[in-house]
Amino acid sequence: MRLEKCWFCSSTIYPGHGIQFVRNDAKIFRFCRSKCHKNFKMKRNPRKVKWTKAYRRLHGKDMTQDSTFEFERKRNRPERYDRNLAEDVLKAIPKIDKIRVSREERHHKNRMKGNKAKLLNEAARELEQGINLVKPPLVLQQDPSLTLPKIKVQVSQQQAEENRPMEE
Amino acid sequence: MAASFASKCSRVGHSLFGGLGNSLSGLVTTSQEIICNKFLSQQQQQRSFIQMRTVLKVVDNSGAKKVMCIQPLKGRKGARLGDTIIASVKEAHPNGKVKKGKVVYGVVMRAAMQKGRCDGSEVKFDDNAVVLVDKQGQPIGTRVFGPVPHELRMKKHVKILTLAGHIA
Repeated sequence: MRLEKCWFCSSTIYPGHGIQFVRNDAKIFRFCRSKCHKNFKMKRNPRKVKWTKAYRRLHGKDMTQDSTFEFERKRNRPERYDRNLAEDVLKAIPKIDKIRVSREERHHKNRMKGNKAKLLNEAARELEQGINLVKPPLVLQQDPSLTLPKIKVQVSQQQAEENRPMEE
Repeated sequence: MAASFASKCSRVGHSLFGGLGNSLSGLVTTSQEIICNKFLSQQQQQRSFIQMRTVLKVVDNSGAKKVMCIQPLKGRKGARLGDTIIASVKEAHPNGKVKKGKVVYGVVMRAAMQKGRCDGSEVKFDDNAVVLVDKQGQPIGTRVFGPVPHELRMKKHVKILTLAGHIA
């Protein structure tokens, strides 16, 4: 029994799942489910389809090089069965998984690092522009600390007298 | 083949026009087939068995190029991967062991319809291909081109497997 990888989405194919397509040049394409198979038939490139591992690795969303991946490399030579070796391997697999997952989480955290500062900046700007949605204008006038400093414009007395007849 | 196609169309038709089925039953069958045809081509391509009148590619050096199935041996609906068929040679190389119009036996090497494997997965190939054999099951040609499935081992066509370049 061998756990294969889906050609399109790179997920593991467990026994009993999926379809294997053999092209006439003897290249074998394995698909984990019909979603991947149909996308392949539509001639979509997995490196451009956002939810595949190929895209994520290419665009730096997921880890690319790590020593934990070495354990999962395909080995074509069958190992002679050794009970002790098999026992050690079975014990090691969950440990390696844990390490890999923690490294992936760290990678994700590093990727999302600048977000909090960016969000705070945006929030401050929005607050500045739309403060009237938060507090009514009367309160703003009474409490000068809430608004931006006002710029005084000098209006001459003569202009004020001229405007009075127009108001009538 | 026409009968099976019509039955398939009617099946699709029943699923399509569930509620309207009663009212449409009075319609002419040809128009219903045309509607079903359109729906099928928009949908998945349904691969089916190798039956009478199926043209197959010949992938050995026996001289024939294209062969038409006239009878699948074994199988009510048709032949699948690894089955033998009786075929008539439709197209042949000018100087080959087999001439046009000859009735030959063939072993289906590649089938576009998926075949279930014993581990639960399914295999499908790109086209329908056949290797010409004699009545005893020994191949007429001396070379086989393209990938060859494992299924032949179960059917005791070991000779063909040894001639193969790739075993899928």
